[in-house]
Amino acid sequence: MNRNEYLAALWGALSGLPDEERASALRYYEEYLDDAGPENEARAIEELGSPQRVAAQILADYRELTTVPGAKNASQGENGSASSGQTTPKRGWRGINPWLLLVLVLLAIPIGVPLAAGVAGVIVSLLAAAVCIVLGVVVVAVALPLCLLLGGGALIVFSFFVWWNPPSAVVTLGCGLACLALGVLSALLMFKLCTLFIPPIFRGFVAILRWPFDRIRGVKR
Amino acid sequence: MSYPIASSLLDGIVLAVVERESTYGYRITQDVQQVIEISESTLYPVLRRLLKEGYLTTYDEAFAGRNRRYYRITEHGRTRLLQHRTDWQAYRDGIDKIFFGGQVS
Repeated sequence: MNRNEYLAALWGALSGLPDEERASALRYYEEYLDDAGPENEARAIEELGSPQRVAAQILADYRELTTVPGAKNASQGENGSASSGQTTPKRGWRGINPWLLLVLVLLAIPIGVPLAAGVAGVIVSLLAAAVCIVLGVVVVAVALPLCLLLGGGALIVFSFFVWWNPPSAVVTLGCGLACLALGVLSALLMFKLCTLFIPPIFRGFVAILRWPFDRIRGVKR
Repeated sequence: MSYPIASSLLDGIVLAVVERESTYGYRITQDVQQVIEISESTLYPVLRRLLKEGYLTTYDEAFAGRNRRYYRITEHGRTRLLQHRTDWQAYRDGIDKIFFGGQVS
């Protein structure tokens, strides 16, 4: 294997690297062989070892250099570069052949899209159920005292129309006052319950909604 | 018998070689090989890493009708080399103590 063959093989073996890194590595070994001189060329090539082995060393070091501080970027890249993977293979996903990535993305679509739809459906129905429960509680909390108050009031008013029969008027008035009292009590109870439970529930709800956004922002930082 | 060279130690060695005088890839390999056994392909990743971390910079100089890439140590690199020297001294003293000093504290 002569100098040019060696360098061509090295160039091929470095295909996983971004262009800039690849060119830099090639330039180094080009110069290395030039500096060894034509008379030492064969010996230098033999000492360097196979282009694949030299490339493996460079690739391993490059991966180590990029994955340790860039681990967060990699997880972000899963969302970000899925669609842009074909157009900008140099960004993100370094070290992975862009064509291989494209094939992986295409293969993932038939599984990924229904899966994402299913997950989204489950999330939406859970949210709807939560909203229904909250609405139900609110309706009970508002309707029960309101009915008692209105019913009591109506009975009291009605009692004035039946004064021609005092016993039944007094019973009606008593029932009306009792209903009114129960209405006030339940209203106070519901008010107390609301002030106790609604703020924490609301805060929890907001926290759940904010969680994905915080995560995205955290990853970007 | 030879001991495997840790990559941090190799960083220190390359920094020390480049500190003596700005030099180029092939020369660095030859210089280092005179003292320790390393394969010829070990040094490119080391140089690349040191460049990335700003311990070395490069400049090109014409030589025999082509450009030769020289490596030069930066201020940052000198500080790092100083750290390597202190670390190495502590390491060597520890080993020396075990090998030749008898008792280990």
